[in-house]
Amino acid sequence: MRIKLTSIMVEDQTKALKFYTEVLGFQKKHEIPMGEFRWLTVTSPEGPDDLELSLEPNANPSGKSFQEAMFAQGIPMAAFEVADMAKEYARLKGLKVVFKGEPAKMGPVSIAIFSDTCGNLIQLYQKL
Amino acid sequence: MDQNKFERLCRARRMLVELGEEARPLREIAREAGISPFHFIRQFEALFGVTPHQMRIRARLDLAKVLLAAGEKSVTEVCMEVGMSSLGSFSDLFLRRVGVAPSAYQLRARSMIVVPGMLPEKLFPGCLGMMGQLPASAFRNFEEARQA
Repeated sequence: MRIKLTSIMVEDQTKALKFYTEVLGFQKKHEIPMGEFRWLTVTSPEGPDDLELSLEPNANPSGKSFQEAMFAQGIPMAAFEVADMAKEYARLKGLKVVFKGEPAKMGPVSIAIFSDTCGNLIQLYQKL
Repeated sequence: MDQNKFERLCRARRMLVELGEEARPLREIAREAGISPFHFIRQFEALFGVTPHQMRIRARLDLAKVLLAAGEKSVTEVCMEVGMSSLGSFSDLFLRRVGVAPSAYQLRARSMIVVPGMLPEKLFPGCLGMMGQLPASAFRNFEEARQA
């Protein structure tokens, strides 16, 4: 058993693909039409090579309530590791990404939280 | 964005997706957020990816889909319930955004096998469930996919 696929719920798959590739810099791996929705996954060019993140349509009303409540409480739905927080923070700010505050040192990591514009807060972290 | 503004925008979103008798006009919601209308729209969009207006439309369509799929209400009743007064505008909006007319959507939902009290999975997927319908190629690993 291994971890090969994880997922995040997104409000609009077209917008999500744009944000996760053009802004975050991930690469599209699969885009397979499934009726109203798509099987849509991205990978990171920084690896691991075959670990996919599925951008799941957030169509289910229960999912929406959950996502909205977590967002309002400031709770991130995923965390991505970065090598250089200051650089990544500046790069994303330059692309108009909204952060909840500046990167902050918390114990063994530096963290920063931003909105993915698809209904989620995402945490970036750098191991110090 | 500071915590206070973040909270006010989240509260505004909460109010925008409220559609029942408690639904409040956009202008009032913007005023309550305490941010100038121009900045309210801009910052709301930066945080949520859509303008306040689009957020309300999305909420209307979301609710309409659930009500239509449940099949207990007519298209006209659904139109009223999501807070739209014109059936024509509602149908146009639904068709444009969902790709089928409300009546066709309702028919489609009716033809699906549904556990009583649940929504049809095809219209409201738990998305990892779609895996079973994927072609085998979706499961190639990265190296295989690159070589193909």
